Amino acid sequence: MKLPIGWLNDYVSTEGITPEELADKLLNIGFEVEEIIHTGEGIDRVVTGKILNIQKHPDADKLSVCKVDVGSESLTIVTGAKNISVGNTVPVALDGATLPNGVRITASPLRGVMSYGMLCSGAELGVDDNVIEGAEVNGILLLPNITPGTDIKDALRLNETVLDISVTANRPDCQCVYGMAREIAAMLGKKLKPLNLKHASVEYAQTPTVEVKDDACSRYTCNVISDVKIKKSPEWLRDRLRYVGIRPINNVVDITNYVLAEVGQPLHAFDTSFVSKLGIIVRKAENGEQITALDERTYTLNNNMLVIADNEKALAIAGVMGGEYSGITDATRNVLLESARFAKGNIRSTSRALGLRSDSSARYEKGVDYESVDIGRERALALFSMLKAGKVTCAFAAENRVKPQTKKIKTSAKKISELLGIEVKPNVVAKILKALTFKVETGGDNLTVEAPLFREDIENYTDLAEEVIRFYGYDNIKSTFMPSAKTTAGGLDTRQRNIDFLKSLACGLGAYEISTYSFIAKKTADKLNLPQDSVLRKQIELLNPLSDEYAVMRTQLASSMLNVVAHNFSKKNKDFRLFEVGKTYIAQELPLKELPQEHDTLCMAFTGEQESFYTMKYAVKEILRRFAVAPEKVEYGKKSYYHPGISCEYYLNGASFCSFGKLHPLVAKNYGISNDVYICEMNLNGFISREIPNVKFAPLPKYQTVERDLAVIVREEVPAGDIIKTAKNADPLCVHAELFDVYRGEQIEAGHKSVALSFTLSSPEKTLAEEEITTAFNNVLYSLEREFGAKLR
Amino acid sequence: MEESVKILTDESEAKISSCATISDLNDIRVRVLGKNGELTALLKSMKDLPPEKRPQAGKIVNAAREKLEQAIAARQAELEQIELDKRLRDEKIDISIDMRQPASGGLHPLTIMRNRITEFFSSLGFVIADSPEIETDYYNFEALNIPADHPAREMQDTFFITENILLRSQTSAGQVRMMEKVKPPIKMLSPGRVFRADEADATHSPVFHQVEGLVVDKGITMCDLKGILDLFAQKFFGKNTKTRFRPSYFPFTEPSVEVDASCSQCGGKGCRVCKGTGWIEILGAGMVNRNVLQNCGINPDEYTGFAFGVGLDRITNIIFGINSLRTVFENDVRFLKQFN
Repeated sequence: MKLPIGWLNDYVSTEGITPEELADKLLNIGFEVEEIIHTGEGIDRVVTGKILNIQKHPDADKLSVCKVDVGSESLTIVTGAKNISVGNTVPVALDGATLPNGVRITASPLRGVMSYGMLCSGAELGVDDNVIEGAEVNGILLLPNITPGTDIKDALRLNETVLDISVTANRPDCQCVYGMAREIAAMLGKKLKPLNLKHASVEYAQTPTVEVKDDACSRYTCNVISDVKIKKSPEWLRDRLRYVGIRPINNVVDITNYVLAEVGQPLHAFDTSFVSKLGIIVRKAENGEQITALDERTYTLNNNMLVIADNEKALAIAGVMGGEYSGITDATRNVLLESARFAKGNIRSTSRALGLRSDSSARYEKGVDYESVDIGRERALALFSMLKAGKVTCAFAAENRVKPQTKKIKTSAKKISELLGIEVKPNVVAKILKALTFKVETGGDNLTVEAPLFREDIENYTDLAEEVIRFYGYDNIKSTFMPSAKTTAGGLDTRQRNIDFLKSLACGLGAYEISTYSFIAKKTADKLNLPQDSVLRKQIELLNPLSDEYAVMRTQLASSMLNVVAHNFSKKNKDFRLFEVGKTYIAQELPLKELPQEHDTLCMAFTGEQESFYTMKYAVKEILRRFAVAPEKVEYGKKSYYHPGISCEYYLNGASFCSFGKLHPLVAKNYGISNDVYICEMNLNGFISREIPNVKFAPLPKYQTVERDLAVIVREEVPAGDIIKTAKNADPLCVHAELFDVYRGEQIEAGHKSVALSFTLSSPEKTLAEEEITTAFNNVLYSLEREFGAKLR
Repeated sequence: MEESVKILTDESEAKISSCATISDLNDIRVRVLGKNGELTALLKSMKDLPPEKRPQAGKIVNAAREKLEQAIAARQAELEQIELDKRLRDEKIDISIDMRQPASGGLHPLTIMRNRITEFFSSLGFVIADSPEIETDYYNFEALNIPADHPAREMQDTFFITENILLRSQTSAGQVRMMEKVKPPIKMLSPGRVFRADEADATHSPVFHQVEGLVVDKGITMCDLKGILDLFAQKFFGKNTKTRFRPSYFPFTEPSVEVDASCSQCGGKGCRVCKGTGWIEILGAGMVNRNVLQNCGINPDEYTGFAFGVGLDRITNIIFGINSLRTVFENDVRFLKQFN
């Protein structure tokens, strides 16, 4: 909210306190001053000047050369303006002046004649007719007779300081000048001056009636002002509206806006001639009921929306905007002034649903309290009276649909002190609360506190504790270390520890961790060439996404990873390993009826000259080994975004939980990727929460191990991995076997290949004898012959 | 005889000292001292001497042998040293060259900072807790004292999936789940991903991370909150860091505060980092609202507690001097490598 210092001073004196000091103090009681605005900021070295004479420019038909008295001296100034004459007072930008649009004025020759400044228009000074009549004419701003040399900021009243204050959502009562004045008075220990609510009332022929039919309007009041004279508001009032960012319109509208800014009560003025029988009905709209509002647009309402109506038609969308015919025009004679309280939730949903916001709806959404309905109305009537804008009449009507309850809180200074952790004496508590206009009864340490009605945020003693410490000062809170708390055992659970371990493994494998958004584009499914019936297409959609790019929750991490890979390629980064551990979101049914499953998932991507399917396979197996996970089954990859012949799936508990391999060339193309990329996705749910079993130490072999090599010829389709596995199981002495070569060539029969492996023989009991070694070797060979029809090469 | 020994000794000594390789030296040894060597031959010729001269001659020959053996050993050591020096010289490489090796990878800066924070609070007895990222309205709002028409729902624009299911906009949602399951004493830290409908720019991201702390026990006070946060600030922003509480508003705490740390860059004098104020806003905190305790079945007249919420991305950026949140989610490898 915007708080002009001059306006504030009407209610509490801040004399001797700079705006900066005020801002610091306000921060300590919970109000952050976001900006200290000096109106007229940007204008420097612009003064009033009197034109002494005007001559034609010797070399330019369209220019004139003026002599201008600027107080201390008279200057020669060249101008192109046509609307000036000798004796006019005008704004003069001196040599070195700056204007609000950032322009700097320097003395310089114009067509051969030195000009020592510039005569300014209203637009050049950033002012309009609301600041001074004539500011919007095409030409130089002609001022009334003001002493030459007067700073233009003083001449045009551009010298106010305005604090732009951020008010937290629990304090709607501080969204107005008087509310802030109340806090500042308490803060400075000064008296809060009362509002002027004085006005006389005259008789009026007709008495209005009010009928409230819905609880969303808890209180409705209205009062007739007769013989209204629509005119411009006085300068001081227009100035103040400008300072708070409201455009002055006419005296009636300005008064309602002034009251809104000053006491926070939205008001609405109806022309009485459009209110049938002066009978106001506050009701819910009919479904489909239409109203054309002051903005000349027609809105279709529903039965959650509140309207102000007479017995024939809706006059206004309650709290949001008036109807076009009920508004104030130059012909308006009598005004029915509404001051009411509507439920904030109702106004918010109406405003949202209609896409229609106004100063009034914005204020109602924050919450208008019960008492300000009367204060606001009386303040407006006082202003009508003071400005002679019309005759305040006795024609008044009101209905209280829902009565407010005053809240009495019984507590003690001890309780408040116990929450704060420092001792605050009962008299200090009482003093602070009283300064904030709370009613306080003390009895020893006990306190009975009644919060004013405008403090709807106050519910219990903790709220009072906050009020106390705000003004007592947070500086008084000391550091303690939970002397009364029990000791607890902290730390990570198994799953969290395992995820950290997994990340350290991935780092050890040379991968860098990335972090990407959890939502992705819906069309990602197509980019990954997912089949129409793929479960990965069961994506949870957001109702209000930021854009199509971030519209659904991801069911896989690969697409985010590929975006990052592509981004890195575009930055000429190559040869890298990346990983991410994140959630995938799996819906049981769509649309969601219950919370979806969130699966911990690992995704890796390897790319670079040294990378292959096998480097990725090594990484995957290394991770699984460290988590003691043995896949039940291995198959060639089935996912649409992997190369079908260079990828595979691992199974656990009957389901594929891990897939990895080379990116499918078509998907690579969709992502604009031309280098080879190997990716892996692993659903961690099956094992990540499981404690990794303790290692059982195996004694190191005491006796020498023996190594033997073996090359066999098998049919092409026999997987080399199966040969190794069979070799390992062929004899108890065989403790290790590994592949060292696969050869296809002239010496080998077509459709066959030579597989060379080396295996290690060892016994825990003795050094192996030659015949034992031969037997083991033969066992390996026999097994391979039996299983695969292998022949010794 | 004596003459011959002397001549042989002098000649051999000259050869030994001038020989250039160990194999030449060996040749000399064999030629002079070997079984058929020249000195050995002289020794053998002693049998032609009269017996009374033989002892004297034997002495002379043995002395010469000893002398030559020493000379050979000394030269051998010299030559070995020369050879070693040469070899080491020849093996010299260009140490300015860098060779590509499999790198060790590394964690994302957000994880690094998250780990530091969880470690710190674990050591103070805080349990690390996780909760769902897709939440119900109840846990994200209602149980946190934010009913349907509450102004706090205006403060943050939430992503919705259905009327009742949403992306959590604050890790505080996990507070309630914790307190429903576990009764005091509670010390919990819940780091996690949260979502708000903000367009991405240097300081905003629709996806970001919070670390939520919660303590509930008998007699917990605002001074205890200050104590923990002072420790936290000193740990992460330096020993001399001070904290400042400013009144604020969160529906789930009362009283509520914003917490500033004195700027570690300028020590509180005011600089670009702290925008001239000397303070950097680091987190929001407060005493757990009675209604929230009640919603979780904890008696607020028996227990009190505090909660705080740190913006992990913000802290990470401050500590590492990262100037844009966008960079954090771009994952450029050159960026990732800087932290590892």
